[in-house]
Amino acid sequence: MNTKLKVSEISKIYPGCVANDKVSLEFGSGKIYALLGENGAGKSTLVKILSGVVKPDEGQVFLNNESIKLNSPLDAKKNNIGMVFQHFNLFETLSVFENLSIDSDKKNEDLRVLVNDILKKYKFKIELDIPVLNLSAGQKQKVEIIRCLIRNPKVLIMDEPTSVLTEQETDDLFISLKQFSKDGILIIYITHKLKEVLSLCDEVAVMRKGKVVSVSNTNNEKIESLANKMVGENLNTIKKKINNFKNSEEILKISNLNFKSDDPYETNLNNLNFSLKKGECLGIAGISGNGQNELFQILSGEIITEGTSIMFRNKEIGKLNPRERREYLMAFSPEDRISQAAVPELKIYENVALNNFKSSNFFEKGLVNEKKIKEHSKKILSNFSVNTDNVELKSQFLSGGNLQKLIIGRELITSPELLVCFNPTWGLDVGAINYIHETLIQINEEGKSSILISTDNDELLKLSDRICVIYKGKLSKIMNADTVTAEKLGILMGGGSID
Amino acid sequence: MEVQLIKIEKRNDLSRSIYFLTPVLAIFLTLFGGGIIFYILGFNPIEALKFFFITPISDLYGLSELLVKATPLCLIAIGLSFCFKSNNWNIGAEGQLIFGGIVGGGVALLFYNHDGFYVLPIIILSGAIGGMLFAMIPAILKTYFNTNEILVSLMLVYVAKLLLDYLVVGPWSNPEGFNFPETRQFSESARMPILFGGLRIHAGIFITLITVFLSWLILYKTYLGFQIKVSGLSLKTAKYAGYKGKTMIIIVFMISGACAGLAGVGEITGPIGQLHRNISPDYGFTAIIVAFLGRLNPVGIIFASLIVALTYLGAETAQIFLQVPKYTGQVFQGMILFFLLGSDYLLFFKIKFLGLKKNEF
Repeated sequence: MNTKLKVSEISKIYPGCVANDKVSLEFGSGKIYALLGENGAGKSTLVKILSGVVKPDEGQVFLNNESIKLNSPLDAKKNNIGMVFQHFNLFETLSVFENLSIDSDKKNEDLRVLVNDILKKYKFKIELDIPVLNLSAGQKQKVEIIRCLIRNPKVLIMDEPTSVLTEQETDDLFISLKQFSKDGILIIYITHKLKEVLSLCDEVAVMRKGKVVSVSNTNNEKIESLANKMVGENLNTIKKKINNFKNSEEILKISNLNFKSDDPYETNLNNLNFSLKKGECLGIAGISGNGQNELFQILSGEIITEGTSIMFRNKEIGKLNPRERREYLMAFSPEDRISQAAVPELKIYENVALNNFKSSNFFEKGLVNEKKIKEHSKKILSNFSVNTDNVELKSQFLSGGNLQKLIIGRELITSPELLVCFNPTWGLDVGAINYIHETLIQINEEGKSSILISTDNDELLKLSDRICVIYKGKLSKIMNADTVTAEKLGILMGGGSID
Repeated sequence: MEVQLIKIEKRNDLSRSIYFLTPVLAIFLTLFGGGIIFYILGFNPIEALKFFFITPISDLYGLSELLVKATPLCLIAIGLSFCFKSNNWNIGAEGQLIFGGIVGGGVALLFYNHDGFYVLPIIILSGAIGGMLFAMIPAILKTYFNTNEILVSLMLVYVAKLLLDYLVVGPWSNPEGFNFPETRQFSESARMPILFGGLRIHAGIFITLITVFLSWLILYKTYLGFQIKVSGLSLKTAKYAGYKGKTMIIIVFMISGACAGLAGVGEITGPIGQLHRNISPDYGFTAIIVAFLGRLNPVGIIFASLIVALTYLGAETAQIFLQVPKYTGQVFQGMILFFLLGSDYLLFFKIKFLGLKKNEF
């Protein structure tokens, strides 16, 4: 049966921001549609409207030419619109089958038959009676998909589904999605990853600032053309010069680094060894939760280790805390900018004062030198193009991109010899990502080193001189970036091995 | 079945003036609530409230009494604000006050019949140190053994109370006191100077005012204050910035304990003049209300301590004129906290009514 979904003149206005501005789109079954846009482009709002989470201020949704009211997620389910969110809504301690039966009105025996049919049909390999917490991210996502399939969906909406998947799991997902599409399910795929749009989708709608700016067939598009539509300006594709560091001085040496945690939710680190030369960028890839967090904290000094396991410019620093390490010219940009790298309730200049050197004299004789901090903050705001010059502004009013610029600026303005950053562009829009990337390349060119822990492979390939992969707390061998491909990374990230 | 759906959302646009005005609103609601209670008890609410809040401070003696009660409340609350601002929940100020009183009182007894300008400063100092050491117990247990400071500090209150009981009944009881549970009256050199003849207001108020000023300086103008603020907002950030979390916990408890100890020693060398079983009418607990009513802000705490001190006086007047128990004062203190927390909730969150929905589950 053919399914037609049409949104017509949808508008949604939040205080101070038009999230959707007269959005009209048409979808038909048999095709996979991409909804592409930066953060804040309005795609999430549109999806929330389609799944009944948010009510539009104006406009209508038509399913097979009939106007439908989507006042709640339940209405969406009744109209056979299924949705898989980026963050899973599963009960970790319940079994897969229990999770599926929670929101199903079928008898358990019937449901089990149905689920087994679905598993067979799409070749999903999932044990139904083990707790969800034992599943990998890819398997959890499959459980969410099965949950939708049980209800015979006409429309399946996937919100950034690959952010937690390995390359292999992503490939699997794409195969399944193509199969669903063949079976007549209309698929709407939300992403900001351009490559996925081209490899998976048939049609692509690009949104920018709440409006649909283009609808086109993916055969007529290239990565560059889509990126330009998404950002609305011609982006300079930046590419790093690969340098030869043979003769450079070694700045950081990690040897026999081990970490054993008492917390079962943390990952133990197992005998890590690597070194870093002046001006070099070492990329550390991996799927989140494989020890990146622990490694970052050990490098930053939030977790203290044996003194000798970390040598920085020939000094043992393993026992120093973050403030003491900063004095040795290290700088750190953590993954969590909202609750760790900065405090939203503090003003910009107060957040700047978090990174405090003896020589910066922010606190002379224990007293706050507000004037000095503010001057320093103004410098950061202008040097790193943060879109405000008001240092008294509370940081919670900065967008993600501007907050990250402020943090990176705070860390870099003191000219550190080493910057350790963890997912520096996570959740940012293309404009901000580009800015951060350019900055990171620039510091390497100035002879400063960096360690980039990231879950974004494109970013790693673009910025790193050498790359390794962390998997279950162990590091793979370190490879030169020009010999690494996304595929190789994918294999290593999934626990495989390459020659 | 139809149900009303309610959604509770956090507000982002919090205005600073409203933040400091809600305590005032809470006070008015407390007056209103108190009026209703008096009405139910069969009194004319306006008259009763007048007895409670106006009569006690309508003469010079009353005003002096107000300051006598506000002095320890303000001092303890200022100390507590250091703890509360940095997310350390010191509930045991009452115990620290009593222990400060015990140490200070012990020293005062040691100097019995001694004269000299140095006697009082030594007593005051030893009281502060006593409170400080007593507050370090929950702090050290928290930092090194991960105990819950709320429980430990609270339970230590009873330890201090029983210790005081033992001392005034046993070893320290007045040899000429006919076995009354109290010590000797301290000698004149061990007493806080009285500011005006005939009134009980004493020099302790200056200690409080100096502490308030120093606290303001530390909290808003020093690196230590900045670290306290950051740790209170986000421990993760404090760790990332490299602040020494454990040292900070101990420092804020020390400050807080010293303030409570000072309050205790101020009471026994001021209005009381000896040690007995009831050296504090729960000042240490009431100061928690004062700290929050004053928004953990030094100036706010001054005003809050005056208002809460008034409930102590009002309760005494009401006991005399209306024949209601003096615990009415605690009812009012409870109401202040209740209304403050209530209006805070509405201040930080907004409630949205999403309309009637058919219940389909």
